[in-house]
Amino acid sequence: MITLESLTKRYGDHLAVDGLTLDVPEGEVAVLIGPSGCGKTTTLRMINRLIEPTSGRILIGGVDASTLKVEELRRGIGYVIQSVGLFPHLTVAENIATVPKMLGWKNDRTAARATELLDLVGLDPTQYAGKYPRQLSGGEAQRVGVARALAADPPVLLMDEPFGAVDPLNRDRLQGEFARIQRELRKTVIFVTHDVDEAIRLADRIALMRDGKLQQYDVPEALLDHPGNKFVHDFVGADAALKRLGRVRVDSVMRHTVPVTASSDAAAVELATCSPERFVYLTDERGVLAGWIDCRVLERGTPPTDAATRVDWREAAVMPDTSLKEALSRMLALGYRLVAVVDAEGVLLGDVSLADVERTMESGDAHLATPVAAESAEEV
Amino acid sequence: MALSSAVVALVGWSLLPFVEFRPNRIVDGVQMRVWAAAGPWTWVLLATLLAGLASAFAPAAWRGRGVLGSAVASFVALLFALGFAATRLTPPGDSPVRVSIGAGAWIVSVGVAALWFQGSQSSGSSTWNWVAGTVGAAAVVAGFAFGGLAHLSLIIEYQTQKDTFWWLTYRHVLLTLGGTAIAAVIGVPLGIAAARTRFVRYTAIPAVSVIQTVPSLALFGLLMVPLAALGLPSIGTLPTLIALTLYALLPIVRNTFLGVTGVDAAVVDAGRGMGMSGAELLLRVELPLGLPLLLEGLRAALVLTVGIAAVMAIGGAQDLGTLVFTGFGEQATDLVLLGAIPMVVLSIFADQGMRALERGIVSPGIREKRSPS
Repeated sequence: MITLESLTKRYGDHLAVDGLTLDVPEGEVAVLIGPSGCGKTTTLRMINRLIEPTSGRILIGGVDASTLKVEELRRGIGYVIQSVGLFPHLTVAENIATVPKMLGWKNDRTAARATELLDLVGLDPTQYAGKYPRQLSGGEAQRVGVARALAADPPVLLMDEPFGAVDPLNRDRLQGEFARIQRELRKTVIFVTHDVDEAIRLADRIALMRDGKLQQYDVPEALLDHPGNKFVHDFVGADAALKRLGRVRVDSVMRHTVPVTASSDAAAVELATCSPERFVYLTDERGVLAGWIDCRVLERGTPPTDAATRVDWREAAVMPDTSLKEALSRMLALGYRLVAVVDAEGVLLGDVSLADVERTMESGDAHLATPVAAESAEEV
Repeated sequence: MALSSAVVALVGWSLLPFVEFRPNRIVDGVQMRVWAAAGPWTWVLLATLLAGLASAFAPAAWRGRGVLGSAVASFVALLFALGFAATRLTPPGDSPVRVSIGAGAWIVSVGVAALWFQGSQSSGSSTWNWVAGTVGAAAVVAGFAFGGLAHLSLIIEYQTQKDTFWWLTYRHVLLTLGGTAIAAVIGVPLGIAAARTRFVRYTAIPAVSVIQTVPSLALFGLLMVPLAALGLPSIGTLPTLIALTLYALLPIVRNTFLGVTGVDAAVVDAGRGMGMSGAELLLRVELPLGLPLLLEGLRAALVLTVGIAAVMAIGGAQDLGTLVFTGFGEQATDLVLLGAIPMVVLSIFADQGMRALERGIVSPGIREKRSPS
């Protein structure tokens, strides 16, 4: 779908991009990664001609990009940047409508599209359509940024460190949502990042660059298992097994039945003490995770009335599409060998334990549990 | 702040003459204190000013409304005190007697105006400000109808100069709006061009800045030579309009430039990346986002030209400045005031009008929330 042929960008004596040749198949996510100054952003910006190449060709769907009118080319390519760049004087709906408006869509079609896209990126249209960018959080703004890029349904999406400026919790969620949207829409995406874990989680193929040159271009598993040179090996990290956890989704290993109670704390303590796990989750009447009771706390002399740990599920739990790597770091952050799994509304679905993570790593075929495999499991 | 304004007004009330009485227009006047001229209104005015003083010490929740309320009451009392004095000192019938506003009454009015401003800023309620404005306007009408304000020399002067006054006011508005409009037509594109190309940025902005540093009378003098050489009138409307346009250019060019270049680089990058042409980017992104600064430039230009148009009367422009300079020549204070007061009113109108326009057309997404000062 996108082919780069000997693409080169020269600034004076400096070669920012040096003879890059790359082929991105239709419907795949190609992640450009490398240390800063490696030419990944320059490459991305040459594809929509925000930077003109010094030499080489870019073919999009077989058409040479340099033969198109530059505005026409860009209107057919979604563009998402780290700083989002929403138009502050326009509402969320008007921001999303930017490209459809330039393409001369009818108003009702544009409005329907904005509603559809807000739903897609997980923002309630009735609540968000009329808001102005300054009323949005960083994560919400970037969701709108993605919706705006998708507005005219372009086949190609360019994303320049889109989740680089949001906090880790939101980044995890945005990555999960992006993976979900991509499974649904199957765009051809070129995604720039400097975060190896993000690349491993989202990429169909990773292009690792250094000093303007391509070091290796392959599927993530191959990059992890067979690094082509020492630079690739050092960049992806020594422990490939640990990195591979980034490609395994929580729902492929999670435990679906867990001890749980929604009743009063005293009864919960009773149950917790009796249960073999000596650990019980607390939920509210809708099943939303509210906390847990760990019997080891009782053994240390804490009175039963104080035994419950109250938590906010947004911070203390993971979602089914979270990567195991993220789940592991959440366990470390919370100081537990377990982490709860909840749905988007916070309803408790199950949990993942450190033992599950270890088993996945040791099995050595963790990379088989790709998001595609996990998706079919989800639908059962 | 409110405290010092109230003190200023009380000083004016107690230490300075309230009105000046002259048997006719030519002879020297007699200065009269407020208690000798304004009868019972003397003590009403004192009471309202003391209320303003007390309001300055009121609890914060009540201070704004207290200051605003006492300012409005003081304004009403001041008008009626002046009207009372003028009526009492002027014999009935067609009389050569002149009663004019004295230094004390001016100081009181300055203090009251300051109180009003501070009260309206800190009352934090547009409803209260509306009520205050309406009461003030009603008091002016009532002061003329029942309060004897029509006997003040300023008003008598107005009655005799009425037609000239309105004609000159009209001319003043026309010159000001005309100069600013021409400057906007030239300056906005120039500001955009300066944002786009280095050459324009390094020539146009220094050029309009230099013009601003030339004193207005000097500019008028400098314009005479080329205009005369071209066979065009070198005094009167044409050079005035040219001078006003030149002066209005700087705030307009500079603010357009700043407005367009001040747009967040990420926003411009996103716009270009989505396929906006240069013109689309300008019209849909850069100008709407630069609009608050652009309007601020227009507002500054309007207020500036209201003042400079008056000075231009020396060079033969027919506007409110004409009344002021004629008044100076004849040593007729009332005539000077007849030109000066409407100029102040025009400035306030220009200022408030542009602010209202800004509230009307700037997107709520970028409008600044009004912060109480």
